[in-house]
Amino acid sequence: MKLAVISCIHGNYEALDAVLCDIDNQKAEQIYCLGDLVGYGPYPNAVVEMIRSLDIPTCQGCWDEDIVEGLNACECSYPSQLAEKRGHLAHEWTNRVIHPEVREYLASLPMTLRQDNLCFVHGSPNSQHEYLLPTMDGFAALERVLAAEADVLFCGHTHVPYLRELENGTLSVRVQQPGQGETQRQFTAPLKRIVNAGSVGEPRHGRPNATYVLYDTDTTQVTLREVPYDYKKTCAAILEQGLPPIFAWRLERGMEFAERAEDAGHVCER
Amino acid sequence: MQWAILSGIEGNLAAYEAVLADIRRQRNPVTDLYIVGDLVGLKGDNEAVVRRVREPQPGEPIPQVCTGWWEEQCFSLHGFRGLPDAPELVERYGLGAVKDLWETVSRQTVQWLATLDFGFHELDCLLIHGSTVSYSDELTPETPPITLCDGLIRADANTLFCGRSGRAFECWIEPGALRSTVTTLDQTAAPQEQEKSPRRVVGVGNVGRVGQPAYVLYDPGADRVSFKQVQGSVAKGFGASKGLGYR
Repeated sequence: MKLAVISCIHGNYEALDAVLCDIDNQKAEQIYCLGDLVGYGPYPNAVVEMIRSLDIPTCQGCWDEDIVEGLNACECSYPSQLAEKRGHLAHEWTNRVIHPEVREYLASLPMTLRQDNLCFVHGSPNSQHEYLLPTMDGFAALERVLAAEADVLFCGHTHVPYLRELENGTLSVRVQQPGQGETQRQFTAPLKRIVNAGSVGEPRHGRPNATYVLYDTDTTQVTLREVPYDYKKTCAAILEQGLPPIFAWRLERGMEFAERAEDAGHVCER
Repeated sequence: MQWAILSGIEGNLAAYEAVLADIRRQRNPVTDLYIVGDLVGLKGDNEAVVRRVREPQPGEPIPQVCTGWWEEQCFSLHGFRGLPDAPELVERYGLGAVKDLWETVSRQTVQWLATLDFGFHELDCLLIHGSTVSYSDELTPETPPITLCDGLIRADANTLFCGRSGRAFECWIEPGALRSTVTTLDQTAAPQEQEKSPRRVVGVGNVGRVGQPAYVLYDPGADRVSFKQVQGSVAKGFGASKGLGYR
């Protein structure tokens, strides 16, 4: 069975439409969405309506949570002060235009979705706000997949797609306790994989194209997809709606320096 | 330099005094005293313990204190932070515990507790009540190895001293191998072997919760942990401690 996994649409309807067409062309039988349907982009309601109309299983992203719980639902969710300032502007705009039923839908989204040995989350199994960067310590990354009790962990949040394979993980533990002899334990992990779906509507891999992934449950093959679309339409709509022009600038370039997470292990402590 | 690290006094003043007396008896003087949470609890004289901690006697090391599970329950009860009305406390100890904790820890004391740190980074160690994930995170020798390893990575420390479990243990985590291969849209990078030197999690026991008062001595120069248990009846006075140190 061929699955398509999309994430971080961020109110970019043009990009979503292009990705859905590509998924159709690739003959994927099931789509999963890893959240962040809203925020930054000019069409939050239309994006949510499309996802709902196609009945796509979706987990809640950090932006979806913030729209439901209120600004600063997580005070530590931004990787920099600049990103926070811009994020607040986008939040206020989205919060103003979002339809009540859309807010209700976002509130109903689960944190995690599962299918057999696959687990789908927005950030990590611990938090919608944790960035699983490809440079993250390998053992820490392995822990996230094991914590999800999965063989393949699908995530988004970083806006840059990647596949990370973790093989031959071994650990030994030596325990000493007062009044007891030393004991030892061995731990071995089979192959585990992290698949980051990138971002449909706000890519940061250096090009403006939308990204998502395909996964074949029979062959376990992962395919990272990059889909060109008319991003200039979205950029124009961002400006028309009065959203910060920087959002259009970075969408055109597929990058955002201010929002690079400085702390890969960052976890919301709320 | 020698550190004494303790946790879980839980209002037990006699047990704390016993530990302080034992610390005074050490041949290698204790230069730093860390209390990693749970000064207060349900059964003891919480205000007396807090006073004793805040007002050390001349010549005693000044305690460096971080918050623990019980302090977080106080913050919740008094609306300082976290969920209101201490749901964790109610779930674990029942509604009676809410009344007891409310009556035995004054608001002024809670205000002081709220100024304490979440943990201490000192040299290559992290001293904390639970873990960097949560004050209620209970690391034990039975915790899955990968979780202990992750706790150390998150802590960014070679040694993580913790107190939540109340147990005394030294757990060395020795990563063997891990091959990591990352594929992006533009390339598949060469596989990388992740290597790590051994690190450890140390449970510092508990002073006043159950059994004999227990704590840990740590000599950073020798990187040596010694487990101390204060012998004899705490109520009657303070017997000599029995060192159980090992490298």
